[in-house]
Amino acid sequence: MDSFSTGSSGTGSPQISTDEFMDQMKAQLAQAYAQEFLETVRGKCFEKCISKPGTSLSGSESSCISRCVDRYIEATGIVGRALFTSR
Amino acid sequence: MDASALNSPDLQRFLNQEKEKAMVNEMVAKLTSVCWDKCITSTPGNKFSSSESACLSNCAQRYMDLTLIIMKRVQSMQ
Repeated sequence: MDSFSTGSSGTGSPQISTDEFMDQMKAQLAQAYAQEFLETVRGKCFEKCISKPGTSLSGSESSCISRCVDRYIEATGIVGRALFTSR
Repeated sequence: MDASALNSPDLQRFLNQEKEKAMVNEMVAKLTSVCWDKCITSTPGNKFSSSESACLSNCAQRYMDLTLIIMKRVQSMQ
């Protein structure tokens, strides 16, 4: 694995090792997944909790959002288990 | 990392694993979205009712059944 980890010695583009590449890619993927999840939950919970947008977020709206986020995470778990545990 | 690294078995294994993870992730996300819209009709409470969680679980499994049926149907047309 260290055949690529020559560091940025010499000229040209800096070299990274395969391990470093994999770590960076993992981190970027994790960020992309989180971002996508956030987008989805935002849309779903806006729809559910903000039926008539007022001049500010009401207390009941923000508690609805908290519950909605928790339930969406729970729903993701239920769906995942439904798909990947033997029937 | 130079181009020859692309032939590294470790890297190939890693890429295949991540590809699979991405597919699973996408499927779960998609089904959660569809089944949430179908099953969660009221304002979210502190806990899912048993009918809500059963609906989510059934919804996900039926969606997969549907996928199989559609695939077979489409294949038989070719």
